Amino acid sequence: MRYAAFGDAERLEGVLGDPGDPDSVFSHRACAAYDDADAFPAEICAELDGFDLASRYVPTAFGGRLADYQDCVQTMRMVARRDVTVAVAHGKTYLGAVSAWVGGSQEQAERVGALVRSGTPMSWALTEQAHGSDLLAGGVTATRTETGYRLDGEKWLINNATRGGALCVLARTDVNGGPRGFSVLIVEKDKLDPASHTPVPKQRTHGIRGADISGIAFDGALVGHDDLVGREGTGLESVLKGLQLTRTLCCALSLGASDHALGIATRFAGQRRLYGRALAGLPAARHALATAYADHLLIEAVSVVGSRAIQALTGEMSVMSAAVKYLVPTRTEATIAALRKLLGARSLLRDVHEDGAFGKNERDHRIVSLFDGNTLVCLNGLVNLFSILTRTAEQGAVPDAGGLALAASVTEPLEPVDHKKLSLLPRRGSSVLLALPSAVAEVEAMAVLDADLAPLAAAARSLLDTLDGVYAAMRGLPPAPVNVPPASFAVARRLAACLGGAAVLHLWLRSHAAALAEPGPSTPLWRGGVWPTLALDRLLAMAGTPTPAPAAFYETACAVLTEQVGTGRLTSLFDLDLAEAR
Amino acid sequence: MTATQSQSDTRIPTDIADWLTERVASYLDTDADSIDRDLPLAEYGLDSVYALSLCGDIEDTLGLVVEPTLAWDYPTVTAMAEFLRAEVGA
Repeated sequence: MRYAAFGDAERLEGVLGDPGDPDSVFSHRACAAYDDADAFPAEICAELDGFDLASRYVPTAFGGRLADYQDCVQTMRMVARRDVTVAVAHGKTYLGAVSAWVGGSQEQAERVGALVRSGTPMSWALTEQAHGSDLLAGGVTATRTETGYRLDGEKWLINNATRGGALCVLARTDVNGGPRGFSVLIVEKDKLDPASHTPVPKQRTHGIRGADISGIAFDGALVGHDDLVGREGTGLESVLKGLQLTRTLCCALSLGASDHALGIATRFAGQRRLYGRALAGLPAARHALATAYADHLLIEAVSVVGSRAIQALTGEMSVMSAAVKYLVPTRTEATIAALRKLLGARSLLRDVHEDGAFGKNERDHRIVSLFDGNTLVCLNGLVNLFSILTRTAEQGAVPDAGGLALAASVTEPLEPVDHKKLSLLPRRGSSVLLALPSAVAEVEAMAVLDADLAPLAAAARSLLDTLDGVYAAMRGLPPAPVNVPPASFAVARRLAACLGGAAVLHLWLRSHAAALAEPGPSTPLWRGGVWPTLALDRLLAMAGTPTPAPAAFYETACAVLTEQVGTGRLTSLFDLDLAEAR
Repeated sequence: MTATQSQSDTRIPTDIADWLTERVASYLDTDADSIDRDLPLAEYGLDSVYALSLCGDIEDTLGLVVEPTLAWDYPTVTAMAEFLRAEVGA
């Protein structure tokens, strides 16, 4: 089945050409050279500008071409599958601008939209050297003046801080701080007195080496009243809402990195001959590839539901984004690590296999679980939702069935995005979880008529039992508003696995008929519940309640993977010809 | 009082400030007596995101739908209780 969100992705592939062709601008060879030199991939970013990629970061309501967030994810995935550094370097502009989409006035959002569309790289200046992820400890101040605000202090480890032309800065507008003590201000560098700001040098890094990870120091930088996003004191709120979007969009980076690693490993296994036969013929190697592919399909499914949920279940993104941002990067790290063992020495060698891209990809991807709310921050975000999730489940809160069906039905057109519907809390709980019992019942009823679905029904039942266990564990934990005990993090991990598993089940239920009606190379994954059974196998193992999928399902997956990589298709639940296929 | 009370059997505590103090104390795993009602909750180390979940308790017990950021806008027990008293009375 084709996925409607692939439109721009397909066009971009056509523009960029085969990354294996060293003569193309965005080739693996060029990326490796930039990396060797710790150099910003300027020529490649210019190519993306030629495609007008930045206009896809600007919602249509503010003058851009971003209609559906799922398209944005899949388009950025095409960039990340070639090079995560480039995706981080270019995609950062969305993060720089998002405060205006969620917290700004129409005029402000249109103004920032025009900046982004004009090709101005933007950055999001949140963190400071002394405070890490603790945003409310920030020391950069915005002091009121007659004409607006005066900024003082330093933001550090800010992507694009030096190369960017504009920033959204989180600054203290109340000396006493607190959740209402911070505001976001739009800063256009060319409007500042040059003496009032200085770049803090780029840090050399072990991954995304070319990215502009630097900082900016303000010393009496003056901005206007109209540069304040929303009302004074709404900074934390707009940042937290913006993070719900960016954490979900981070899927694109992990998906692309996972595509890249799987492609390299599958080609290697097909070419490498050991003991008189191809590595891919050895059962252990096939199992390693199939397991990695199962993880890949799992993160793809979660990404599809997560990105559709931005428009379909907007008010629930606090829980969805935390689960997605925990699950997708950590599963990808595990996938790449497992494939590294298959590649052996070639994962470490710079010049022997595919320009050393495997090792570079792994180094580059490490940033994804660190930035934009690291793994522990996201798990803590889930811990903070334990009470509302258990309460809504106990009260029998009614899931948003329409929103959930839309999030999970990939052929259905989405409603336009309404950023004002984002909420800091999922007031009515998580529809994905609340609707799990009925989804499981639906699968079990299908399995009565179709014995091939028995493994999926067993996995679904196991998922429901696991969720019940997680609810019991959440109820058994004391409230943890100050020091979160390790046990809470462990429960949050299992909760994230359940959220992912529920997303998997809903996606298969609502989309398999359409997938089977439009046969293609990916069809065997949809038939007989192969991919959701594999995905649940991976998730339930993670949750400590293993429910292994049949070996034949892994063989099916391995065959589809080999076919997709061999014919230049995307490693995916859906059919897409990459540039390599042309 | 449990966190699972449904809206239909909602009972409004006679003194909202006492009830809020008890809720905050239970979150902080301490005695209600040790809570200074005029001190911002953040001073007790209450995580600002965690404080959002107070709105769930308020909805369950008082039957009031309030903004999740209530505890940010009314950062002390006294301020929150005054606001809620006015809302319940309205």
